[in-house]
Amino acid sequence: MKKLALLALIAACGGKYQAPPPLASIPLPDGSQLKPYNPAEPGQARPQGMAQAAGRVYVTLSNQRDTSTFPVNAGPGFLIAIVPDTGEKTLIDLGGTDGHRCQNPGFVRASADGYLYSPCSGNFSGSDTARAIVEVNPLSNAVTRRAAIPDGRVPNGVAVTTRKIWTGDAYTTTVFSIDRSTFTADAAAPIAVDCPKQVFSYVADVMTIGDDVYALCASDISGALYRLDPDSGAVKAQTTVGPNPTELAGLDDGRIVVVNAGDNTLSLVTPSGATLTSQKVLTFSSQTAALQDVRAFGRTVFTVASGSNTAQRIDLDHFYGVPKVVAEANFGPGAGPYNILPLDDTQAIVTNRGTNTIAAASWVFAQ
Amino acid sequence: MPPSRAFGRYITSLALLAVPAARAQEPGETIEVEGERPKGSPRAPGAAGTVIDLAQFGGEVRSVAELLQTAPGVSVHSLGGPGQAATLSLRGASADESLVFLDGILLQGPGGGAVDLASLPATLLDRMVVSRGVLGAQFGAGALGGALELLPRAAPSTWTGGAELSAGSFGTRRAAIDVAMPMGSGSAIVALQGDRTSGNFEFARQITPEIAGAPYYGFARENADATRGSGLARFSQQLGPETAVDLLLQGSVGTRGLPGSAATPTPRSRQSEQSGLAGLRLRGEHGGISWSARASGRVDGIELRGVQPYGDCADGTSACPRLDQRSSSARGEGEVMVPLGISHALKLLLSGGGEWVRGSATGTHRREALAVAASDDLALPLGFSLHPALRLDKVGKDAGISPAMAAQWRPAPEHPLELRAAWGLSFRSPTFSELYLERGGIASNPELQPERAWSIDVGAEWRTHLLTISGNAFWSTYRDLILYQLFPPARVKPFNVGQARIAGIELQLVIPLPARFYGELSYSFLDAVNRRDGHKLPYRAPHRLFTRLAHRGDRVEGYGEMSFTSALPRNAFDTAFVGSAVLLNAGVGVRAVGPVWLDVEVKNLLDDRTLEDIFQYPLPGLSIAVIARARL
Repeated sequence: MKKLALLALIAACGGKYQAPPPLASIPLPDGSQLKPYNPAEPGQARPQGMAQAAGRVYVTLSNQRDTSTFPVNAGPGFLIAIVPDTGEKTLIDLGGTDGHRCQNPGFVRASADGYLYSPCSGNFSGSDTARAIVEVNPLSNAVTRRAAIPDGRVPNGVAVTTRKIWTGDAYTTTVFSIDRSTFTADAAAPIAVDCPKQVFSYVADVMTIGDDVYALCASDISGALYRLDPDSGAVKAQTTVGPNPTELAGLDDGRIVVVNAGDNTLSLVTPSGATLTSQKVLTFSSQTAALQDVRAFGRTVFTVASGSNTAQRIDLDHFYGVPKVVAEANFGPGAGPYNILPLDDTQAIVTNRGTNTIAAASWVFAQ
Repeated sequence: MPPSRAFGRYITSLALLAVPAARAQEPGETIEVEGERPKGSPRAPGAAGTVIDLAQFGGEVRSVAELLQTAPGVSVHSLGGPGQAATLSLRGASADESLVFLDGILLQGPGGGAVDLASLPATLLDRMVVSRGVLGAQFGAGALGGALELLPRAAPSTWTGGAELSAGSFGTRRAAIDVAMPMGSGSAIVALQGDRTSGNFEFARQITPEIAGAPYYGFARENADATRGSGLARFSQQLGPETAVDLLLQGSVGTRGLPGSAATPTPRSRQSEQSGLAGLRLRGEHGGISWSARASGRVDGIELRGVQPYGDCADGTSACPRLDQRSSSARGEGEVMVPLGISHALKLLLSGGGEWVRGSATGTHRREALAVAASDDLALPLGFSLHPALRLDKVGKDAGISPAMAAQWRPAPEHPLELRAAWGLSFRSPTFSELYLERGGIASNPELQPERAWSIDVGAEWRTHLLTISGNAFWSTYRDLILYQLFPPARVKPFNVGQARIAGIELQLVIPLPARFYGELSYSFLDAVNRRDGHKLPYRAPHRLFTRLAHRGDRVEGYGEMSFTSALPRNAFDTAFVGSAVLLNAGVGVRAVGPVWLDVEVKNLLDDRTLEDIFQYPLPGLSIAVIARARL
């Protein structure tokens, strides 16, 4: 909140906020420092989601070990609090007393009142006890509350409102809520947020933007963005976006951007009254592969693509309203950047899931 | 168990996982007349076909994959540079739908599916026959795009021999030797080939592709070495005046690095593989009836080390187990051809056997393969001929009928014009890999059903001593296509979800020129469409053009060639593309002394280091090879 107030003050004075320059690369703890269940088989940090709170950046650590099939949870899930310009780090164990109360956290979001919330997806079986929504106080860097997830559901994405915490289901196209006061799952039936599919569909993310909750349905052939009532979850509006969308972000003018990994495009969604309208405003280069995340700072949009190890800075109004990639950064072979967090309208950091680092974008600018 | 941060992120990543004439006459040697290319396969009369005579490429370092690129309707999907895996695609069909035979014996990969062309030694072959279309009736279930027949060197009845040595860029070496001799009442040939490459070529790529005019940076390819040894032995014995027996043995062992893509290199991943094949055939002719009986068997094995779903790992650690995968097959078949009057030639075939797969990633499975087939070559008045064929295949639990009909017309027996038309319908059973392979980001699907396809094509050929020009147009539909789809939470899995229509045109021109020059051109147009949404099928190039001018003299030989591949879609939504590519190659050679020739060959004359294959594996820039060869 302090940062938001500072930003508002700077904006009011006509100035421009500039964050301290982040370190070029911040290594994350190796698996042996992440309480492995079997010390002989530690995992790796595998950083993903990021959020800012209390002057620090909080990053989820999946703490997973690769196998010949697919990654397994090698230890409890963690958050790590980082000061980007100094590299100072603080680990926060989300796993509870037995270390199995939260595994595999992928998202973290800050609420308006300053708390952090992270959904733990466990082993994706939908029946393990490592699925949870965890609340963290960034001032104490401690877990304050933990909400269990009903059987058969796997939380994916998190949106915090005044009274509810909304999350999506990784196996169905539904969203459901946790009551913030009791910190238990609501008994109400999950809300359907469907999109046409050929093989698979799921909820890619949920997010609070303005006064509403937005849910992103993704499938192999399509995508849809839903606007939901923040208290009841009732669908207020929906619009079609590109195939297999992975992430969304709100602009300061109320519009929403969505990255579509299926067709390598960026959609711009405009809320107007009770409707949402969407248009594809940018098709990325053919070499940009596996779009994973989008964030915005004001009206500057930042995207990241793990397949090409690149991040992009996009000016939405570059030329008579035609968006353009005005700068791009590459994080090196094998980096696998999954998430991006703008520190101001020029600087950004990414989580490199492949190399287990937090890295600053070193931009190459368009002419 | 994937990370919770949206398996969508993972599966998005998985989606990425999710590739003739310069020989001079030797003393006393007979050379085929240029421009008189042999016709197609005897197994598929009336089908669109191309014959690639390997003798036309003497003095050139060619892989089977490179040789195939000269034919229309053929695409090769390669994973990187020399020695790396490459698979065949005929008329836009997948590698699993394009069958490969060695001397009539069906080859398969270690998972029971597509064959790695890089594992096939080119110098041991005499010629390759490419037959295109839905040819299940002629070649068996699975030939939905067509078939490639590899014909090994025959054993002549006199002592002959040859040797070839080559050395070139990126530490690439080849040695090949063959000896043929009379043996008893027959003959024998033994041929060996060894290949080695360091594969450490330099390539260039933009690291910020969104920025117009962004510079290219140079990189060195690592862990792309390959070593392979191959051998072939073939024996023929005359058992009686009209009966003979043939024995074919072929084996190959190899190891190579698996370098990964440019964006995600895998410096610790390795592969080793072995394959062996044996075929024994008894053949004869009595009273105009010709017959053959054959038993054959094949074994293939592959071991992967340091391979993980998302990158590489340290071989030998508990988190990095090796993958050992083996497949084998055995088959017996009998065939008889009975002339019925002067206008019919009826062929009957009965075949039975089985195939097996065993490995940590698939488990152990077996299934029987039975087939009965009949075909007729019917000569009609006025220059017409018909070639009906019908085959019933049973592969495991799947059974199906593959009918086909081809027709040809020639105004007169020696007339240069020939018109043809063909129709075929068939199916392909899922491979063991598709049914059972559980590995990394790949999930199995035992519930898969066979794919089905039919095609129709028409063609014309004008063949004279001045030129041969041929053209084909085809239209095919596929349903229940098996496609690997993103499968939450973090894998890809095969499903019967594809519906496709693939149409195209193939043209070929061969022109003998004065002074022992010889020109060739082939062009392929492909329109491959997903019938569900109208988008283009990814990884199919709409246009391919190959031209070649070669000279063969008594003392000097040489060639120059150009291949062009147009941009092709890289995703299923027509929004990402692999760029077009132009390759220029050239070579020149002289007969140094006696039967010894020395040649120099340059590939990728433009030194374009930005080329990548369809999976974004970098390809080498300019390379030079020196070749010495002799034939006695």
